[in-house]
Amino acid sequence: MLKSTFTPIFWVLTPKPKPPKLPPQAITNTFFTSSTTHVRHNAPLNPTTPPPPSSAYIHLPFCRKRCHYCDFPIVALGSASTQTNDDPRVSNYIHWLCREISATNVDQPADASTITPLKTVYFGGGTPSLVPPRMVASVLDTLRLKFGLREDAEISMEMDPGTFDAEKMREMVVLGVNRVSLGVQAFQEELLRACGRAHGLKEVHEAIDVVKLCGVENWSIDLISSLPHQTSEMWEESLRLAIESQPTHVSVYDLQIEQGTKFGRLYSPGEFPMPSETQSAEFYKMASRMLSDANYNHYEISSYCKSGYECKHNFIYWKNKPFYGFGLGSTSFVGGLRFSRPRKVNDYINFVQNLENGLVNSSVKGHISGKDTIMDVVMLSLRTAQGIDLKSFQESFGSSVVLSLLEAYKPYVESGLVVCLDEHRRTIRIDDLNSSLSKTNAEGRVAYIRLSDPEGFLLSNELIALAFGVIDSWKDMPPYKEAEAT
Amino acid sequence: MGYLSKASKTLRQSNYLSLLCNSNFNFNPLTNRITHERFSVTRALLCSQTRQNSTTREKSTIDLSQYPKELVRNFSIIAHVDHGKSTLADRLLELTGTIKKGHGQPQYLDKLQVERERGITVKAQTATMFYKHGVNGDDCSDGKESPKFLLNLIDTPGHVDFSYEVSRSLAACQGVLLVVDAAQGVQAQTVANFYLAFESNLTIVPVINKIDQPTADPDRVKAQLKSMFDLDPSDVLLTSAKTGEGLQQILPAVIERIPAPPGRSDSPLRMLLLDSYYDEYKGVICHVAVVDGVLRKGDKISSAATGQSYEASDIGIMHPELTPTGILLTGQVGYVVSGMRSTKEARVGDTIYHTRSTVEPLPGFKPAKHMVFSGLYPADGSDFEALNHAIERLTCNDASVSIAKETSTALGLGFRCGFLGLLHMDVFHQRLEQEYGAHVISTVPTVPYIFEFHDGSKLEVQNPASLPSNPKHKVTACWEPTVLATIIIPSEYVGPVITLVSERRGQQLEYSFIDSQRVFMKYRLPLREIVVDFYNELKSITSGYASFDYEDSDYQQADMVKLDILLNGQPVDAMATIVHSAKAYRVGRELTEKLKGVLDRQMFEVNIQAAIGSKIIARETISAMRKNVLAKCYGGDITRKRKLLEKQKEGKKRMKRVGSVDIPQEAFHELLKVS
Ligand SMILES: Nc1nc2c(ncn2[C@@H]2O[C@H](COP(=O)(O)OP(=O)(O)OP(=O)(O)O)[C@@H](O)[C@H]2O)c(=O)[nH]1
Ligand SMILES: [Mg+2]
Repeated sequence: MLKSTFTPIFWVLTPKPKPPKLPPQAITNTFFTSSTTHVRHNAPLNPTTPPPPSSAYIHLPFCRKRCHYCDFPIVALGSASTQTNDDPRVSNYIHWLCREISATNVDQPADASTITPLKTVYFGGGTPSLVPPRMVASVLDTLRLKFGLREDAEISMEMDPGTFDAEKMREMVVLGVNRVSLGVQAFQEELLRACGRAHGLKEVHEAIDVVKLCGVENWSIDLISSLPHQTSEMWEESLRLAIESQPTHVSVYDLQIEQGTKFGRLYSPGEFPMPSETQSAEFYKMASRMLSDANYNHYEISSYCKSGYECKHNFIYWKNKPFYGFGLGSTSFVGGLRFSRPRKVNDYINFVQNLENGLVNSSVKGHISGKDTIMDVVMLSLRTAQGIDLKSFQESFGSSVVLSLLEAYKPYVESGLVVCLDEHRRTIRIDDLNSSLSKTNAEGRVAYIRLSDPEGFLLSNELIALAFGVIDSWKDMPPYKEAEAT
Repeated sequence: MGYLSKASKTLRQSNYLSLLCNSNFNFNPLTNRITHERFSVTRALLCSQTRQNSTTREKSTIDLSQYPKELVRNFSIIAHVDHGKSTLADRLLELTGTIKKGHGQPQYLDKLQVERERGITVKAQTATMFYKHGVNGDDCSDGKESPKFLLNLIDTPGHVDFSYEVSRSLAACQGVLLVVDAAQGVQAQTVANFYLAFESNLTIVPVINKIDQPTADPDRVKAQLKSMFDLDPSDVLLTSAKTGEGLQQILPAVIERIPAPPGRSDSPLRMLLLDSYYDEYKGVICHVAVVDGVLRKGDKISSAATGQSYEASDIGIMHPELTPTGILLTGQVGYVVSGMRSTKEARVGDTIYHTRSTVEPLPGFKPAKHMVFSGLYPADGSDFEALNHAIERLTCNDASVSIAKETSTALGLGFRCGFLGLLHMDVFHQRLEQEYGAHVISTVPTVPYIFEFHDGSKLEVQNPASLPSNPKHKVTACWEPTVLATIIIPSEYVGPVITLVSERRGQQLEYSFIDSQRVFMKYRLPLREIVVDFYNELKSITSGYASFDYEDSDYQQADMVKLDILLNGQPVDAMATIVHSAKAYRVGRELTEKLKGVLDRQMFEVNIQAAIGSKIIARETISAMRKNVLAKCYGGDITRKRKLLEKQKEGKKRMKRVGSVDIPQEAFHELLKVS
């Protein structure tokens, strides 16, 4: 059972049909157990048709107001709008969103029995919890009609304190929402205000109570570190209060100052009142330490969970598997093509009309180049604690790239930023690595490469860019291509 | 006269070295001539020196056979930097109708983009003019046709780096216009260029220029010319190239005072190859002076240096553009296109003669002496071929650069280049970038040292990296090149200048007064000490009033050591320098501090060390980068992150790597600024 449920990381390896019910435990195991049954030695390097997606991201862009750090495609409705039942902007958008879903070309196999109904749906925003449940229902219905939706599908929703009460939460649960990602961000009134959040601390506590009261078992608290004026005492307090709330999942985002945001105009990274590089590295380490001590697995750069509560939807991204994307500014990855939708409402409506008229196709069958795939796989895998699964990596891309990667990472294995693991996920000591690197079957011994926690994760940009350099020097591969809606 | 004999002795070798100064020079605070961006030049400069005449003028009707050598005068305009040579040349070209007044840019003959941007002449340029002049002062109004003269004017660079151009130009001349600024008076290059002409036995026509300036003091300048060069004040012409005042006397003086060229028209052809450059369309174009005999279009000619034969397929004069004449007579200066493939075949100073005739080769020129060496590497390692091509093309037009391939562990494949001086090096870089689109990293310029080892072996070091840091045999002695420097300053600056020169290990040879206000000093200085910022410093402590010139001199023994720069224990070959042991500590500290400022933080601690042999004399540390974390991929939108990381990767790719330390290109540029 375990072996048959193992999903290879790359779509070039055809997935086996899944059993209908998949307990969370089993998922975890597949990730931390090496599959020994990979026999696809003849797996073609040239891409074949990838499997159709079984995940969908739905963008619900509405917010009461824009947070000072945010540069997403959102629609600010005004601070007073906690109830959006009658807001035509919302109903109008949902209308177009459903039309987009319906108009999407699906390339399901002719044989209806092999159709893949959706296994994960993720409502992201914006503030999805601002959208009235009946509209969420219509989106889910449209999805169900179009693709099918499994009974046990993970349906996540980003929810912000102050935008829902117990009644609304219950309605969402009834609709099938079974995972909540609560945008707490900080447990300090002054920081919430400084970020321009539309809620205060009181709403944070109320929201946590509501989520628990409504029996949502699988829920996450999202926190942001490295906020302006944030002290390590504040950060420690946020982490402590988050842990005390006992969510099954915690996401910790390190604030990025983006151009064009209010923070972008006010602050520059590393300069007061922003924490210094050292300080914000300390914040990251503190999160890693405190959450690990509280029994959360640091399973991805910014994600922690109690055993078995990984976000399945996000894993689709990290495993470089296909997914649909619907709504303003969302990105899909279908048929090997990453496609970004327009970020402005009017452009988006145009796009949907064109889609209906067959003038655009968001899922044209493209063949993603080998080099692109490797880069994506490296970038995404290294975000995870599992790291790069060298076995399937090598099967897909050959052993020479694996060797060059190991060679390039050797100094960092030595300095502890990169960790090599054998198939039982035991750390390979540097001396053993050195001696095996000189042998021809070196890659055979190393089963995984991962970044260490927290030092390696902290330098993930550098380390991934380094890997890109290695891949890039592979001269014979075509360049990266990307489609964007115009 | 005392100066004359003394100075001419010390100036015997007329092979001048370069004045070394920094790239954003501002030669003349008096005329406030800031040389950057004086012109906005948009003209493409592929064949920078060729402007074909035919479109702008009616078909050539010039019959050179009307100009026997008695009617030919060849002269150069020589002067200190900025005293107005090129501007005076403009006026003479206009006066003779060679160029139209008000047409074209000022300093018409400065054709290179670098010349126009910097407002200096880098390459000597020849122009042929025709001028009617009644001999013996005859007025030509009496109806009697006065004869028309053929005048070859050569505008020369004033800057000391290019004095090689001056000496070559003089070989084609019988006289010079020695131009002196009426306010500044005699300056260092005035002295140097005067002696170049004097020792070549050329007739010197002194011209005091810029008399329109309010501070002009021609009488004082006349007195200086008298006392320094024994030039008779009554022979001095006064003019303003700006207003045109006094301009009328110049060409009559040229014709009356300067002798006709001495060659024999009935002897076999001998031509002196003065210069050559590569033209996109015509191939190699040679500038020649016909010393004896006659050259006709279609003649078979041979090079004395290479023995190769060619056919003179196109010949003519620079009027000022290439103007075909089909013939060049004794004493005339012109161009020859002969199907040479590369300027390597066109050796400057070579004698060219009719194939199958036998002639005595002309004396030619001493080869240019390269005193400053530096490595040139493609900024992007993979561009070696492109750089190779660019350098090949450029050296076709600047044969005075020596080129040899070399490799550096830090920078990859590149070239070791020898230059006449720092300005020359700078100009070469600029031309590479502007005319050939090359992007280069240059290593710290060095002078050639000679090291002697315990086993008696000697090594000439043009690249510090080639000197072993821990040699098998102990170094027993080292010699460094020196220069004889001429410094002319107003007397109130003597104190600070002497302090500066002794800091630079200078040794005074001569000290005298030009007149009541100006001091003339001669020093022996190690070349290394003036390579980087000496001239700038000299100018700044004298409020810009100092002028400076030098020529190369003997090697002297010196206590030099190799200074290595190590990054995490690995020496960076391209950063090694040779310094005087007394200055090693200071330079080591400066270099490590500078590097600390330009190196990015890396994923590990970086130790920067300066070392002599195995002894560390300075160190700095860059602490490890703490955090560069990948943010969330919102909504699965990984393309943005991908782009970010690819940009980061590209940045890394442009860096040079030693061990595991990435070195940005700026690091190499920054080091150039440490003396
Ligand atoms: N007032 C005044 N300025 C002059 C005169 N002649 C030249 N200049 C100015 O002096 C500056 C230098 O003139 P150039 O003709 O370029 O001098 P140069 O001697 O050719 O300079 P290099 O080739 O760099 O040695 C320019 O700004 C001219 O406009 C003059 O008679 N009077
Ligand atoms: Mg000039």
